[in-house]
Parts: sequence; C-alpha cells; structure tokens
Amino acid sequence: MRNRDIYIIIPVFNERRTIRTVIESLLPFEYEIVLVDDCSTDGTTDYVKDLPIFYLRHEVNLGQGAAIQTGISFALLQNAEAFITFDGDGQHRATDIDNLVKPLLLNEADVTLGSRFLPSAFTNISFFKKGAIQIAKSINFLFTGQWLSDAHNGLRAFNRKAAGVLDLKENGMAHASEILFKIHEHKLKIKEVPVNILYTRYSKKKGQPVLSSVKIFFDILLNRIFD
Amino acid sequence: MTAIQIILFSGLLIISIYVYRRFRNSIADAIVIAIFILGGIIFVLFPELTTQVAHALGVGRGADLIFYLCILFFFFIILKLYARIRKIEQTITSIIRENSIASAKKMKEDSTNQ
Repeated sequence: MRNRDIYIIIPVFNERRTIRTVIESLLPFEYEIVLVDDCSTDGTTDYVKDLPIFYLRHEVNLGQGAAIQTGISFALLQNAEAFITFDGDGQHRATDIDNLVKPLLLNEADVTLGSRFLPSAFTNISFFKKGAIQIAKSINFLFTGQWLSDAHNGLRAFNRKAAGVLDLKENGMAHASEILFKIHEHKLKIKEVPVNILYTRYSKKKGQPVLSSVKIFFDILLNRIFD
Repeated sequence: MTAIQIILFSGLLIISIYVYRRFRNSIADAIVIAIFILGGIIFVLFPELTTQVAHALGVGRGADLIFYLCILFFFFIILKLYARIRKIEQTITSIIRENSIASAKKMKEDSTNQ
C-alpha cells in the first residue's frame, strides 16, 4: 500500500488555532488528507487553503460523527485502502499512523483502535477523565461484549471492508460507541494499538467535558430503541 | 351550564373547526377525530359519566382517569415525534453529505489551476 492510498480524515469545527499545525505534521508522510469542515464559523478555511488537501464542507453544523462519515464516504469514492480518523485539535501524533495501518496490511485486523492505556503508550490524561473512560468502557462492554483497554479514542484505522459497512448514523459524539456496535454487528476483526495522546490546555477546552458522557449514554440508549 | 363547561366547550368547538379545515380530505382521520370530539362533548356535558367509567376501571375519580390516560398518550406522542425528528435529521444529513462530497475540492491544485 502506498501512503497515497491512506486517507487521513480530520473532522473539524472551529479549529483554526491548531488545524494548520496538525496538517503540516502529516504532510511529510504524503498521506491523502481529507479535511471535513463541519460548518466552522471561525474562518478555518483561510488557514488551510494553500495546503495540498481535500476540503469538504458541511453547509450546516451536524456534529463530529456526521463529519467522520462524510470523510469516509468521500474516501471510499476515491478508492482509499486505509481510512484513519484523526482529531484536528493536536492531541494525536502523525507518527502513530504507521503503527495503526500495519495490522491492516498484515491482515491481522479490519479495524485498529488507538489506545492510551496499553503498555508503552504515553498520555497525560486527567484523573477524572480516566474515571469517565472506565465507565464508558463498562458501558461498551455491556452493549458489545468487547472489553477494550480504552474507549472513545479518536485515533482509529479502518480497511476498505470496515469503512464500507460503517455507515454511521450518530451525528453527535455517540458515534464512538456506534463504531464499536458496528464492529460487533459485522464481526470485524479489531486490534488495539498503543498511541501517544498529548492533552494540551487547548485540546482539553475543545474536548468533551466529563459530564457529556451522560448525554452520550442516553443518545445511545434512545437510538438503539429507534433504529 | 358552569363556567368551565363553557370554556371546554368553546375549546372543543375551535379545535373541531380547525381540524375540519385542515384534514378534510382523509375520511379515516375525520372519523377518528369526530369520535374524539363527540366523546369530549359528551363528557363535558355529563361529567358524572367519567366517574362511572373510572369506577369500572378501578380508578377513584374521572379526572384522575383522564390524567393517567393523558400521561400515556403524551408519552406515546413524544416517542413518535422523537422518531420523526431522527428521521428528518438523517435525511438532512445525507443531503448535506452528498452536497459536500459533490463539491469537494483539492485545495492546492485548485489554487494553481486558477
């Protein structure tokens, strides 16, 4: 697989402070970069318009899950071989992508999930966030029967088979759990890969407050009743 | 006729005129709504009837019976509305998605071509 066949999908909403640095850190690897602008109002476009990337824009703000799905649908049409979801706030590192893609190439997995808590991973996560993730892990286990070392980590890789069946319906933040449900439903092979996550003061501000996990839980519950 | 009966009666009258003007074309709808309105009129005119029905169902007062039924009814309506909102959301999402994919552009190549 050439790096040109690896598509990095970056959903962004008002990330002008970090988006350029994030993309510039990815450029040396010569991946294809798909920036999905979820109707940013801070002029994010102006900060990236001279970079060699694909730019997609939602005309209405739909949420991170919707933006990821748009990126995946687009990359599928472009005949991508690997699909990476990557955050635009600077918490993920470009050097981890190679490790995520490797198991896909070796046919060890259809999906690889970045984990902050595997041995050799480094993270400076806060105590409360760690607690919230423990709860999320338990909920995911209840619904999917999979006990993972991490939950709701935005750094993941899919092969074509996995990307094709994903079809995310959760526009908001519940998509992270929905991805696990879909993996379970379609019996996709998964593998966790240690990744390094650096929370900056900025990414913490932009990220999910611990309390919103309660809202995500109800989203999941209601939507499992209705879909 | 007591004051509350007059208020409820005129309310029913306004609703029935409004419904009649909007849903004239569907006979099934018209029948269901006519039954509801007729039921409403009868219970407003003879409130003791609700108490009799309530007693038959094991509830103390007619007003309580209506209260319980309303809770059920509104819960059902909320669920229906929620399902509909989700459906609309999905439609909007797919339209916006198709649109954004159709107008996707490669930033740098675009700027050099122009």
